[in-house]
Amino acid sequence: MKQLTIILISILCFSFSAQAQITVKGTITDDQGQPIPGVNILEKNTTKGAFSDLDGKFTISVGEKATLVFSYLGFKTQEIAVAGRTQLTVKMLTDDTQLDEIVVIGYGSVKRDKIATSLVTVDGAEISKQVASNPAEALQGKAAGVQVLSSGGSPGASPRIVIRGITTANGSTNPLIVIDGILQPNGTSLNSVNSQDIENFQILKDAAASAIYGSRASNGVVLITTKRGKEGKSVVSVDLNYGVQYWDKIESAGAQEYIRIMNTRRTNDGNAPLFNPADFQGEGTNWWNEVVQNFAPVLNANIRASGGTEKIKYSGSLGIFDQQANYSKGFYQRITGRFNVDYKISDKVSLKQDISPRIERWENTPNLLYNSLRIDPLTPVFVPQSQRVGRNEFSIYGLSQNLVPNPVAQLARQFNENDFFGFFSNTQLDYKINPNLTFRSQFGFNISRQTSQTFNPEYFIGPNRQLEINNLTKRVTNNFDYVLNNTITFDKTFNDKHYLNLTGGIVFDSENWDYLQGYRDGLPSNTNENLRQLDAAEGETIRTNANQATNNILSGVFRGIYSFDNKYTFNGSVRVDQSSRFPKDGRTGVFSSVSFAWDVDSEDFFKSETINNLRVKIATGEVGNQNISRDGQFFSIGSGNFVFGGDRVVANFLSQFGNPNLRWETVRDKNFGVLMGLFNNQITVEAEYYEKTSENLLFSVETPNFTGIPGRVAQNVGSFQSKGLDLTVGYNKQWDKLTLGVNLTVSTNESKAIELAPGNEVILGQRRPRLGNRFVKITELGETVGLFQGYQTAGIFQNQTELNSHTSEDGTLVQPNAQIGDLRFVDQNGDGVLNDDDLTTIGNPFPDFYGGLNINMSYKDFDFSMQWYGTAGNDVFNINTEYIFAGTQNLNVLAGLENLVWSPTNTGAKFPRLTELDRNGNYQNPSDLFIEDGSYLRLRNVQLGYNFKLKGFNKCRVYLSGQNLLTFTKYSGFDPEVSSGGIINGLGVDTSGNPVAKTFLLGLNITL
Amino acid sequence: MKKLILFLAFCTAFLSVSCDTDKLLDQPLQGRQQLDDFFSTEKNAESFVNSVYQLVNGTNWNQVNFQRQINEMASDDNWAGNTRQPRPDITGIAQYNVFPGSTYFNLFWENHYIGITRANIVLDRVPGIEIDDAKKAQLIAEAKFLRAFFYFDLVRNFGGVPIVTTYSEILEPTINDKVRSSVEEVYQFIESDLKDAIADLPLRSQQSSGESGRATKGAVQSLLAKVYLFEEKWAEAQSMAKTVMDSNEYSLEPDFANIYKVGNLNSVETIFEIQYINNPTFNGVGGQFAITNGSRGDRGWGWASPTSDLENAFLSEGDNIRLRSTIIKHGEPVFGDPAVTSFDGLPAENKPGRTNRKYYIPTADRPDPYQRGQLPLHYIHLRLADVILIHAEAAYFNGDETSAKNSLKLVRDRVSLTTNTSLTGSALRDAIWKERRLELALEQHRLYDIRRQKINGVPRIALILGPNGSFVKYNTEVSTDPYETTNLLEPQNSGTLFDPNIHLLWPIPPEEIQLSRGKIVQNPGY
Repeated sequence: MKQLTIILISILCFSFSAQAQITVKGTITDDQGQPIPGVNILEKNTTKGAFSDLDGKFTISVGEKATLVFSYLGFKTQEIAVAGRTQLTVKMLTDDTQLDEIVVIGYGSVKRDKIATSLVTVDGAEISKQVASNPAEALQGKAAGVQVLSSGGSPGASPRIVIRGITTANGSTNPLIVIDGILQPNGTSLNSVNSQDIENFQILKDAAASAIYGSRASNGVVLITTKRGKEGKSVVSVDLNYGVQYWDKIESAGAQEYIRIMNTRRTNDGNAPLFNPADFQGEGTNWWNEVVQNFAPVLNANIRASGGTEKIKYSGSLGIFDQQANYSKGFYQRITGRFNVDYKISDKVSLKQDISPRIERWENTPNLLYNSLRIDPLTPVFVPQSQRVGRNEFSIYGLSQNLVPNPVAQLARQFNENDFFGFFSNTQLDYKINPNLTFRSQFGFNISRQTSQTFNPEYFIGPNRQLEINNLTKRVTNNFDYVLNNTITFDKTFNDKHYLNLTGGIVFDSENWDYLQGYRDGLPSNTNENLRQLDAAEGETIRTNANQATNNILSGVFRGIYSFDNKYTFNGSVRVDQSSRFPKDGRTGVFSSVSFAWDVDSEDFFKSETINNLRVKIATGEVGNQNISRDGQFFSIGSGNFVFGGDRVVANFLSQFGNPNLRWETVRDKNFGVLMGLFNNQITVEAEYYEKTSENLLFSVETPNFTGIPGRVAQNVGSFQSKGLDLTVGYNKQWDKLTLGVNLTVSTNESKAIELAPGNEVILGQRRPRLGNRFVKITELGETVGLFQGYQTAGIFQNQTELNSHTSEDGTLVQPNAQIGDLRFVDQNGDGVLNDDDLTTIGNPFPDFYGGLNINMSYKDFDFSMQWYGTAGNDVFNINTEYIFAGTQNLNVLAGLENLVWSPTNTGAKFPRLTELDRNGNYQNPSDLFIEDGSYLRLRNVQLGYNFKLKGFNKCRVYLSGQNLLTFTKYSGFDPEVSSGGIINGLGVDTSGNPVAKTFLLGLNITL
Repeated sequence: MKKLILFLAFCTAFLSVSCDTDKLLDQPLQGRQQLDDFFSTEKNAESFVNSVYQLVNGTNWNQVNFQRQINEMASDDNWAGNTRQPRPDITGIAQYNVFPGSTYFNLFWENHYIGITRANIVLDRVPGIEIDDAKKAQLIAEAKFLRAFFYFDLVRNFGGVPIVTTYSEILEPTINDKVRSSVEEVYQFIESDLKDAIADLPLRSQQSSGESGRATKGAVQSLLAKVYLFEEKWAEAQSMAKTVMDSNEYSLEPDFANIYKVGNLNSVETIFEIQYINNPTFNGVGGQFAITNGSRGDRGWGWASPTSDLENAFLSEGDNIRLRSTIIKHGEPVFGDPAVTSFDGLPAENKPGRTNRKYYIPTADRPDPYQRGQLPLHYIHLRLADVILIHAEAAYFNGDETSAKNSLKLVRDRVSLTTNTSLTGSALRDAIWKERRLELALEQHRLYDIRRQKINGVPRIALILGPNGSFVKYNTEVSTDPYETTNLLEPQNSGTLFDPNIHLLWPIPPEEIQLSRGKIVQNPGY
């Protein structure tokens, strides 16, 4: 208790000592004589400190015999005894021993040059440039081989991270997230971390690096290290920014064009027109304008204090994030705190205690673009005043002509609230048994509670657009997850040449989940918010649901690192996992890896003026995947209702078809890399080639419907192989007043199915009901996974001769129902019948390559940065084509469609003629008409900052920043950065989700 | 230091607990019964059988029954009706501009097989339970009856389908090699299931009141009679229908209007029905169809609306009793609903301005809230009049015109129509067919009947639909119906695209062809 009090006092009070003092002034420069601002100056063994200003000048009062410690990132730390001097000139020396950097790896940390595996580090400062709820957004383009797939522009959206392609077939490709050594539960969103708290990301790309995490590491591992206090004067910094978000509009047809199109497609079929144009004047409702509220604000505020003594260091931060949607409903708000304390109890024992509470509130952001694009422009938003008698406020909305739900009405009646409270604690105790042997015990836990409430008011807009009785659902979900790591590490260098690091331990990981949900109808009021509680409901329908689940993993880990003479480095690791997700016989998995690195430049024979650093490495390893629904092994009974004798009876059925033979999915990979530093590390090049092969691939398989198996069955379906190349090129140069840093990443990846188990020779996905109820995604043996499938088209029939000549060899008409202006489908097998045998691969959602370009510059007091990201060669299946370009249904179309469809006067059109019957199935079959080139290049972030002096502050900076301001693409939809649903079956399928917004931000950084 | 030791002791203690690894790593699924433990009691076995019944109509409007409505729309009895919402998978099919990818074909196919698999699980597991033998036999017989019911629905819509006979086969990889059986094989399988089921099911009179709605001996025999009729096994059909008629278990409801009447569950005429009630505490205990088929002017969706052609058929027989209980017309009072003096059939959004009276729930019987899934109007699959007309038709084709006429008279007498006893030959045949149309109108028989019934080997549907079909000619050349001829959003020549070489069967859902890697072959022409 006494110690705790000391810790607290030390944190709260920054010492003000009163001794015989002198004032020391000085200037700090680099070896070129340029002043360095922001250098941390500390009186040794005290907490007294200062910073250099913009001119590199500092002032500090210290005791006459004090020793000052000068430290700054990227420079070597210096200690200078004051010895009575009042003027000091300090020259800081660049610390170019980047390879001496300590890198966090699984269950320990070592110097970077002792690692032979594939690992990439992204600095926290780079991450926090991007203002987003989720730090993963900022990873895009920063690390080669790491793909960040946007999940749209809704507040609080969590993008997916894909590391080195796809080797798993089931939905989740999210990597394992490890925060300060604590494994986070599967599916953890990085929303849980404030990007300002992140010191750095380490991304473990190959299995050799991640094998130590065994069964949960097959999608790669992201290690997050949070910021910790440093010895020195306490530093308080504030970062504030505020911005607005903007969506580019897509213009739908106005009333007159809509009427013309609706009528033309009917008269083309010989049917009566749908509308009399005389009945409607003007352009009608512009639904986009009614629904979208551009310039929704986003606010981000952070305050951080850190500092400490040799004994106690602390870092505390508080962050507030608030993002509103570009609709009248939908937001995401978050308050995060993080308090990291390092306490050196004795020379042998040290303790770290981190706590991080988090509060989130959000309202689900609706996706209304789909309906806004489809609803007809003839319908007014509201019914006329005269028709509102007897209607409540949710019922005054117009029922659309074409019965698409009125999106403004949908917004009005959405009442959804979500509250989340999470508390994360991480306790780590290190005991140095002797100088070479350390025992570490770490206990981390996460407690969280989420409450969600949805209220549906009573309304009547039309038949089947009504709710007769209002209802309320409330759901409370609790999670308790904990991790206990006990490891022992031996670290010693023998005879200056042999370095040995051995780590072993036992790890236990437990995830516990439960929920309770209540539903009732008949609330006394549609509008009184105080009555939106289950207690107030009076209806007859009451439903409650609750359940719980536990998943445990018990593991043993071992890793050895040996390095000879800083030339040859060997790494090896083994992990044994036992997981409760699998049946007893398939429960244990053993995962191992070996890797080797050779520092060529350390060899005596290597003499090069230009190449100052050259390292080659080779690695192989295996990791596992247990990411399949934990129901996978079970045959569960569900329950429903039926009626006999006029009374309800219970009806039980088999709701889940399990698979008792489920086994681990295993991923083996090989990694080969070269790292080069040129011209004294001004240019760095890192190239890696990899091959990842998965075995016993876990997948939820859709069986033929005649099996009567509803849903899917978990199976081990085969093998995927993913190959690719990651290239990173860096250029860093400092001139007189100009510094420049350029970082380019380029990656390629191809994932193929190399083996498929009997009964699973083809994996199908993404069934589209309106496109013939066909699956448009297919994975076949020897082919890239998740390709688009459909009919190949060969233009549009321009005349009767073309129609008559589209036959098989024996003269059978291939498309007997086609007319001039319809699509010509290719009869692949030439049998004269267009059927499933003619479906073929029509597109590939994977890019040929993707990459990012990051540029950081500073000149005098200005700094400037740019981040570009792009993909090339990927296809998008634009589902929206089935209405925005079609006109077959009563749905609205894009403005100007009249000029895009075939007609006798527009024979060069891309899209076929207008027809409602669509007897040729132009829009009722998947075809390459739907496929577009999804390549794009996007300016993810651009930032211009200005540093200035302000009395009383150490550092002040204002900046202007823009996100996603420019996008170069040929793609016609909202956003080429699309993926919906599962990674194999959703990638590249555009169903008009909320697009990523352009964001304009103004920000301020202050350091006290 | 003491604390450290304590802490280490804690860690060690925790680890030693952890060493009981089996306890930690056996994490059974919570909150769900498991199949292997489930079939242990009679109660459980029975409640599993109950779930097979769920698939007869499906648990939502779209799973099974809406395809039956689309079938009606594709006949001469109904228009698609709703002109506000043209859709390729409803209106397209009604016009024979058939969209094979229709959600409703797909759901119909899929849900029938879900029912078949549930029945197969019963047949796999129930024999092994130690319960009363008679009860066991009854549950098995119910499953066989329902399985036959599902296959009969499938074969009539799609032709020969894959026959799945056991639960265990669907778990083997070889299930993927399954192909379509022939129509004959499917009928053979149906017959064998039904014959097996007859012996072990109780008579309707032997059921307790709480069991009404479960399959009876009479239900199996009636279905078997109908199966024989579809196979044109006239002798077997006549004899099996006669067995039901002579069982003294059923009688015609004296008042035709009471057959579909809220609260009249398990009426004297009912042989097999799905009972629907209103009980908001439970999902899916009520019906859907008063709303899906109701007028858009009366809180309905306006699908499957009766044609003036059907109305004329009643009028030509002077059959007002059945007409008023079959068709509601815009602007007229609703028979049996004194609250409605001028019905809103919304002809602007509904082609014929007419609504199905059989599914209509009168104002006084409507629960509040009036919503799908909670509508208390039962749904009849088999009733005595159907069986009597099966008997009449089968007897006619057996050359037993006297029996045929006697049965015809039984049905007509109930609605006070006289029967011409001098009818013979094709005139008698046509009278029986017309009687079948009028008596069972809008009860999902029409499409199957006109596909099945042949004149000189030509299916009647080919004479009714197609460019020269009687129904198409009537609508395009004769009809002066004030609603149908003015609301042309659903074209007046609907049915003209009918092609007898294609449209006697519906397409196999393309999803199934893809999932089976082409082993399931599409019907010709699709």
